[in-house]
Amino acid sequence: MPVYRMMYAKEGPARYISHLDLLRTFERAARRAGLPIAFTSGFNPHPKIAFAAPLAVGTAGEAEYADLELVREVPVSSIQRDLSGTLPEGLRLVEVRRLGERAPALMSMVERATYRGEARLKSAVSQGALDRAIEAFLGRSEILVQRKNKAGENRVYDIRPGIFAMSGRLDNDIIIIETELKTGSRDNIRFEEVVEAFSTSSELPIEGKYVLYRTCLFSAVDKDNKTLW
Amino acid sequence: MDVLDQILPLVKKPARYAGGEWNAVHKEWSDVDLRVAFAFPDVYEVGMSYLGLQIFYEIVNRRVDTLMERVFAPWPDMEEKMREYNLPLFSLESRRPVGDFDVVAFTLQYEMSFTNVLNMLDLSGIPLKSTERDEKCPLVIAGGPCAFNPEPMAAFIDLFAIGEGEELISELLDSVRKGKQRALPRRDFLLEASRLPGVYAPGLYRVEYRTDGAVSKVKPVQEGVPARVTKRIVRDFDQAPFPRRPLVPSTEVVHDRIMLEVLRGCTRGCRFCQAGMLNRPVREKKPSTVLEQAAALVESTGYDEISLTSLSTSDYTPVSKVIKSLLDQHAQRGVGVSLPSLRVDNFSVELAKEVQRVRRSSLTFAPEAGTQRLRDVINKGVTEEDLLETTAAAFREGWRAIKLYFMIGLPTETDEDLDGIVRLAKEVLDLGRKARVPRNKLRVTVSVSSFVPKAHTPFQWEPQDTLAELKRKQDYLAVRLKERGLVFNYHDAGLSFMEAVFARGDRRLETVLIHALELGCKFDGWSEYFNLERWLEAFRLSGLEPAWYAGRRYDYEGPLPWDHINSGVSRRYLAEEHRRALSGVTTVDCRTGDCPGCGLCPDLEAKPSLAGGV
Repeated sequence: MPVYRMMYAKEGPARYISHLDLLRTFERAARRAGLPIAFTSGFNPHPKIAFAAPLAVGTAGEAEYADLELVREVPVSSIQRDLSGTLPEGLRLVEVRRLGERAPALMSMVERATYRGEARLKSAVSQGALDRAIEAFLGRSEILVQRKNKAGENRVYDIRPGIFAMSGRLDNDIIIIETELKTGSRDNIRFEEVVEAFSTSSELPIEGKYVLYRTCLFSAVDKDNKTLW
Repeated sequence: MDVLDQILPLVKKPARYAGGEWNAVHKEWSDVDLRVAFAFPDVYEVGMSYLGLQIFYEIVNRRVDTLMERVFAPWPDMEEKMREYNLPLFSLESRRPVGDFDVVAFTLQYEMSFTNVLNMLDLSGIPLKSTERDEKCPLVIAGGPCAFNPEPMAAFIDLFAIGEGEELISELLDSVRKGKQRALPRRDFLLEASRLPGVYAPGLYRVEYRTDGAVSKVKPVQEGVPARVTKRIVRDFDQAPFPRRPLVPSTEVVHDRIMLEVLRGCTRGCRFCQAGMLNRPVREKKPSTVLEQAAALVESTGYDEISLTSLSTSDYTPVSKVIKSLLDQHAQRGVGVSLPSLRVDNFSVELAKEVQRVRRSSLTFAPEAGTQRLRDVINKGVTEEDLLETTAAAFREGWRAIKLYFMIGLPTETDEDLDGIVRLAKEVLDLGRKARVPRNKLRVTVSVSSFVPKAHTPFQWEPQDTLAELKRKQDYLAVRLKERGLVFNYHDAGLSFMEAVFARGDRRLETVLIHALELGCKFDGWSEYFNLERWLEAFRLSGLEPAWYAGRRYDYEGPLPWDHINSGVSRRYLAEEHRRALSGVTTVDCRTGDCPGCGLCPDLEAKPSLAGGV
């Protein structure tokens, strides 16, 4: 059955939709749009919608991906038009394309993601000071964070190897951090962890919390990033 | 980078506060004359499952001169953050403070949500007491079943709307708008609004007490204020306003499906049941209306399930025909039908079989009492034979789990009636074994709640069992319901005790509610938050005795605190039903055409309307 890849943004109020709820939200939107969704067979059929990588609740996504399977061919342009009109506030369909027959599963493709964090500064910081803070952060041989494993036990985990790049800039009293992280089903690095660790070690005068965005997802081989498109 | 985006990542389930759901209505504030906040005194997932919210949202937002936005009780983690950041309670649509609205409309679905109402007022910066509000404060109104005994909340609510609100809400908003245009002082406005049928302005009534503390009189303090407020009903239920584009939450809520009301009212006349008394007369929607609304709802929501809601959907006259048509029209698109409650009879099993072709879960029946004697007392028209035949049929049809609802503490109950619950449960379990349900899959769940005497029912005069007695009865059942395949659940008796206090309480309880709020009583419907000790402390601080309210036999002849609220069902009928209960005489369902004489039709100039057909 035909599979369509959707690129979409998850912003505004939709950034608070959890991963599990997002599946339901897309399912309902597709039904409102009159799209013939394919379902898994079995006791509890669920719609065949696969997401690239879960997004933490509260983090906005600017270019997210999901594959949607339909029971019959529908022109890409009508999917684009109809589904765009039935998504709730904050979910925005950017583009749709028909996948080839042997396209690999989205989830298995994801290797890296880029993120942006924005926060308000309590007092001015110079670009030089920001650069030095980042340089010091990246210069650490290990950056340890606490994580709970599936059994609920606290484990210490080194996130440094999963941070591939990081930079910072200033826009008046807003500080903007951009970074590229290991993402996917194996060795996933959470942006919140990086931001938290950076905030602690850099001691920049931040007011409140960083607002987080995932800007892009990549299927990466070494330095050669490829988008999932 | 507003405060909310700073807070939301720190709380559980932030989608509760984010808004932006499908079909949410965003109107410009400057385009309308009146802004109404619909306030549900429980968490988002509960409030969004309330059909009444969707109905009012449709009615108020359809008007060009008014808007309605929503607000729910923030979960304690969110409340903590809001207080820390000085963020006042805000609406989901425009994120404006609730204090900026012209009207704040609460629904009182449950006595134990009263402190949540107070807490929401406090979080909005609105003075708790009606008398302390000035001209700039929103008008605080409330409706719902608990408004039928409004007295415990009288100090906090400016106006109560009694009965069905579909028509009253618009009349009330017209009145508010005119009052605002004429810059009518608050008290003058309340006086004017109190003349609208169905409106009760508690501030315009004075309560007198007898020396023993019982209410002796509730009377208007001013000329022109009605001595008695009669509930409103929608006469043409078939054509009543119905939301065709309901809100579809982006996060899972309690009833996460299309709620299509097919019938209002229930005339079976169970004597403990307040909903059965308050929602008369019985009125059914035409099948063509149901089918047409269902099609619109499937289209506008994208849900995969249509729940045909009412107090008793298997009583809906054309139910089989409607279910069949709905499945014919929607099943191939993966949209199913469900029924929220089932009668104890084979017909219901047939219906369940019909609708649950896809999803097989457990079946629930409510015999309510364990012996025929007690079922006759409460007028639950279910026989032992009905129950056994019905459950046997259910097992035969492939169900493996049956849930049975019972009540303990009913008037005249003895341990024999409890033994009856045990016996019935075991017989049902035995039927399961005989039907060869695999031992490890066979499950009979016995769920037991405690009887709470409610205003406007034949049992309104009855005492509730003491807390100790209720607990003894729970233990009595617990030791006897131990058997492989039996599961015994029961509700916190302390919670039922508090419910009974507020269900029949009077105005003096306002002090208890204020103390309870200060002591941190909120979300009491949630077992993790209910704390009886704190409530008892609130009573001690107020110098009131909760058992005096819950455990007292109310004077048959004397006044009741809610006498000035007319549900349409006459007191004479309730008293007669009470006498018949004590002599074990049952009363017929008015659907049968035999009028038991509850008095509502002549009083409200209404009549039952059935859709007809089979």
